[in-house]
Order: sequence, then structure tokens, then C-alpha cells
Amino acid sequence: MSLRQSMAGLHTWGGLLPSWLLYVIIFAGTLACFDKELERWMRPALHQGVASSMTADQVRDWLEANVSDELHAFWMHGPTSREPFWRLGWEVDKTEEMHNVAFDPASQQPMVETLGGGFFFELHYNLHGGTLGMYIVGLAGMFMLVALVSGVIIHRRIFKDFFTLRPNANGQRAWLDAHNLFGVIGFPFHLVLAYTGVAIFVATYMPAGAQVAYNSNVEQFFSDVMGAYNREGVHKPAAQQASLNELVERSRQHWGGAEPGWISVHHPGDEAGVVDIRRFDSSRIAPPLETLSYDDASGTLLNVQNASAGYRAYTWLAGLHMAQFGGTLVRLMYLLLGFAGCAMLVGGLQVWLAKREARGTAGIGLVRALNGGVFVGLPLASLALLWGNRLIPADLTERATAEGWVFVGSWLLLALWAVLRRNQPRSLLSQQLALGAVLALGLPLVNVLTTSHGGLPSSLLRGDWALAGIDLFLLLCGLLCALCAWRCGQPQQAQEPRARRVLVEEAL
Amino acid sequence: MLLGFALSYLALLALCLAMARQHKILLQGAPSIGRQRLLRGLALVGLVLGLLLSIEQLGGEIGAVTWLCLLMLAGLLLVAVLAWRARWVLPLAALLPAAGGLTLLV
Repeated sequence: MSLRQSMAGLHTWGGLLPSWLLYVIIFAGTLACFDKELERWMRPALHQGVASSMTADQVRDWLEANVSDELHAFWMHGPTSREPFWRLGWEVDKTEEMHNVAFDPASQQPMVETLGGGFFFELHYNLHGGTLGMYIVGLAGMFMLVALVSGVIIHRRIFKDFFTLRPNANGQRAWLDAHNLFGVIGFPFHLVLAYTGVAIFVATYMPAGAQVAYNSNVEQFFSDVMGAYNREGVHKPAAQQASLNELVERSRQHWGGAEPGWISVHHPGDEAGVVDIRRFDSSRIAPPLETLSYDDASGTLLNVQNASAGYRAYTWLAGLHMAQFGGTLVRLMYLLLGFAGCAMLVGGLQVWLAKREARGTAGIGLVRALNGGVFVGLPLASLALLWGNRLIPADLTERATAEGWVFVGSWLLLALWAVLRRNQPRSLLSQQLALGAVLALGLPLVNVLTTSHGGLPSSLLRGDWALAGIDLFLLLCGLLCALCAWRCGQPQQAQEPRARRVLVEEAL
Repeated sequence: MLLGFALSYLALLALCLAMARQHKILLQGAPSIGRQRLLRGLALVGLVLGLLLSIEQLGGEIGAVTWLCLLMLAGLLLVAVLAWRARWVLPLAALLPAAGGLTLLV
């Protein structure tokens, strides 16, 4: 067996098995390019763009007034142009549970709960499955790297067919062209994103070195590598507390006027409490590693972060993956190329199917059901989540969880539908597309009806493109779905004459 | 930015025309060896100019990333137009740089 033949088997099966998982990861990651814009869309209190007048001390005051447990840490982030509000999170001591609150800029009280755009971000990197989910995603990423490299090896005409797409050829040929096109032209993007994606959690996938060198004290390892400051709590209440506002102002001066990003406090109220203030700067690929650590009680500067060269290289790779640099332009390009990655997976699966449908290989029903349930089901369930966000009453307790159930429930129903109709893939697809058109076209309408300042007319009038962009994108998707659904009903007749012509030629 | 995209499109179009099959579709007949070399040379010039423009606008670090992204997106556009609306390929090659130049002036 030649190298190319053995790689072909690897590419087919190593690509097929994780492809639905990879689709979930890539699709969620693609949407997460605009997670903060999506979050603003999902929080009607932010639609009008009122500037928040809260300060770091006021956020801490709210926490002290409302949470009485001893905290391991809390962290907060001030308003930015993409996230014009204060967010706060905390972890109660000796629990691993995180709590999060986002403050309404106008009333300075917590906003109505929502999953926000962070839902897709978390789905992207751990499938909402904690550490286990992270391992699964990492494994899928490694499979993607294998599939990319083996794909290059088996592609005989990689340069000759570089610009070739023959949508009118027979099914398998056309899909193979499409799969090759999205894979080859988007290759640098797929390779870099798969590699950096796997690299981000490398310390978790290969923990042995750090475990041995640091006697299983992984936190010590991280603080050494990051050049950060870390000290244990002593459980003695401190007599005083430094003003966070003042520390923020001092940090700003230290950086020559640059803005702070995350502010985190470890062991708050303890004699050994530490305030870390990170710099916010999206003008470079790597996030700045200039965290300043202060004593929580006295406000003395304890440490200026001095990260190792290795860690700087690591954050550069992570930054390249996370696309927080270069503004909307870079995020838009990552979005489009991410969709190209989804298209590559869909194309690959269609090649697999087209090749085997004629032969009637076992497993075709399963693959079709998974295709219908994941490739179409996930985008539709995401639309359903946005419907849930607008329609679930604001005063419901555990509202974010209810949104999550809308997503999961609708996805399960769509998957069940795909399983039941797996033997009529064409009519299933056209009905799914019609449903997608209704869901996507309905959302801007629901947005106008349920919010006072979020609808397309008012956001366009304000020139608020970040908000209007989401509605416009939904309209575009809805129209495309409607067009495809309509076209999907047609070609059945269009294909027949061509089949007959072939027969005539054969007869001659 | 649009100009950078246009340059990437032109460079890829030149590479594409240097191939016999695409040359037959877009222009008449197969390209001569000399024309192939000329087109590939022009493509190289377009690629380098696009890269330099991106770097000039956004700095070496981010500029290189945006250039590569623009190149991939221009490739996808070119192939899509080539597959479904081959007649628009050459007009686009004039339209995109013109629009790009306009945004530079405004």
C-alpha cells in the first residue's frame, strides 16, 4: 500500500468520525467571533448605548452588600466600546462554582439574566462539558490536524484544480470540488486555527512535565511561567481596604495612560489579599502581559508582571486564535473563513455519501441522520436560542438556564426529526431550510416588537452598526435559506432531462 | 482594505489565467508559454503589493494576518464567480481595484 493510499483511508475515516463534533466546534467558534456584539443584542438594556458611570469601587460595594460568603476571588471588567457595561464574577472559597453578574449602565443594578454570546464561546472550547469537554474538543482538534495534513498528501491535483469548481457535474464530483476548494484555499486558516486551538490548552493535554517539576502544584507552575504574583490567603481579616478606583488610576499612570481591562482580587478582605490589574490593549495580536499586583489592604505595588519568552510566544499563538486584535475587520474575516471551514466539512461528508449511496453501504442512514441533525440542526437551534432570548419573560428565575433548555430542547427535536426523515434527505432539507427562513426572518421582527431601542429602524437611525449588523445578518441568512428551500424543491425535475440525454447518447 | 482585497483578487486571477483550462474559459484558446510567465510574474507583483499595502496600513504583525485572510477570501470569491458567473470575472477585475482606489481617495 502506497503512502497516498494509506493516507486516503486515514483521511476518509479520521475525517468522517469527528466531523460532526468538529462542525459544532467550528460553527460555535465562528459565531463566537462576534460574541460580544451578540451579547449586546441579547441584552436589551444595552441597546441604547448609555455610558456606564459605575466605578470599580461601586462594583465591589455591590458585591459586599449582596454576597456574604468568604470569597476565594472576584474579578471585574469595566466598560469597553464592544461591552459597554461592568461585569463581575466571583468564586466562593472552597467551591469551584463561578457566579456572574452584568450591570445595567443606567440603573447600576444587575441586568436581566441571559446566556449571552459567551454561550457559543464556551460551546466552542469545551462543549459546556468542563474539563472532560475540553479534552474532547482537543482530541477533535488533533483529528482535524491529521485530516488536514493527510488531505494535502492525498490530493493529487492540488495546484491543477486550485480554481476548479464544477457545480453542474455529477454529485460526487461537484461535492469533491467544493470540499477541495474550501479545504485548499482556506488551508492556511484551518491549519493555523486548528494548531493554535490545540496549543491553547497544551498544558492540560500534556500535564506530566509540570506535575513532576512542581510536585503537582500546577498553580505554582503557571504563576512562574506567567511571571505573575501569587500568595496564599491567611484567613485573617484585614483592618483596611485600598480603593480600587485609586489603584486603577495608578495603573493607568504606570502604563502612560493605557486603559485597564480585567481587575481581579484574590482573597478579598484577607490580610494577604492581592489586587491584579491587567492592561487592556487590542492593538497587538498577543494580549499585553503587564499585570500590576497590589496589596489589597495597603495598596502597595507588589509585583510588575515579567512573563517568560515562552509564555509570550504562547499568548501570541492564543491571541492569533482568539481574534481580539484588528477590530471588526479581522473578526469579519475570521467569521467568513470559519464558515468556509463548516462548508469544507459539509462538502466532505457529501462526498462520502455520494460515493456510497449508489452501493447502498451500511451506515448511510446513520450518516444522513447525523448530517441533518447536526449540520442543519445546530444553526436552527442557535436561532431558536435567540428566539428564546427575546420571548422568555424577563422576571423568570434562572432565565439563562431556561434559554439553555430552549437551545437543547429545540436541537433534540430537530435531531429527532432528522432521524425520522433520514431516508428522504432532499425533502427534509427543503423543509429544514424553510424553517430556517422563518426563524431567521422572524427574529428582526420579534426584535422590533419586543424591544424599545433594539429594532432595525432605531439601530440604523442611530448608526449603531454593531447591533444592526446582527439583524441584517439574520435577514440575509433568512433570505438565503428561503431561496435555497425554493431551489431545493425545483431541481428534481431539472435533473431528469439530463439523465435522459445521457441515455440517448449511449443508445447512439 | 478594499484595495488590498482587489490586489489579491488580481493576483489570483493572473495565476488562474496562467492555467490552460481557465484561460480557455475566460479568453480564447490556451495561453502561450510567454504569456503564462508574464501572468505568473504579474501575480507575484500583485501578491507582494497586497502584502506591502496591508503592512503599511496595519503594521507588520496584523497586516500579514489580514493579507493572508484577504487572499483566501479573494480566492473563494474568484472561484465562486468563475463557477456560476464566468462572464463577471473580468469586469470584477476592473471594478474591484477602481472601488478600492476610490476608498483610498475618500
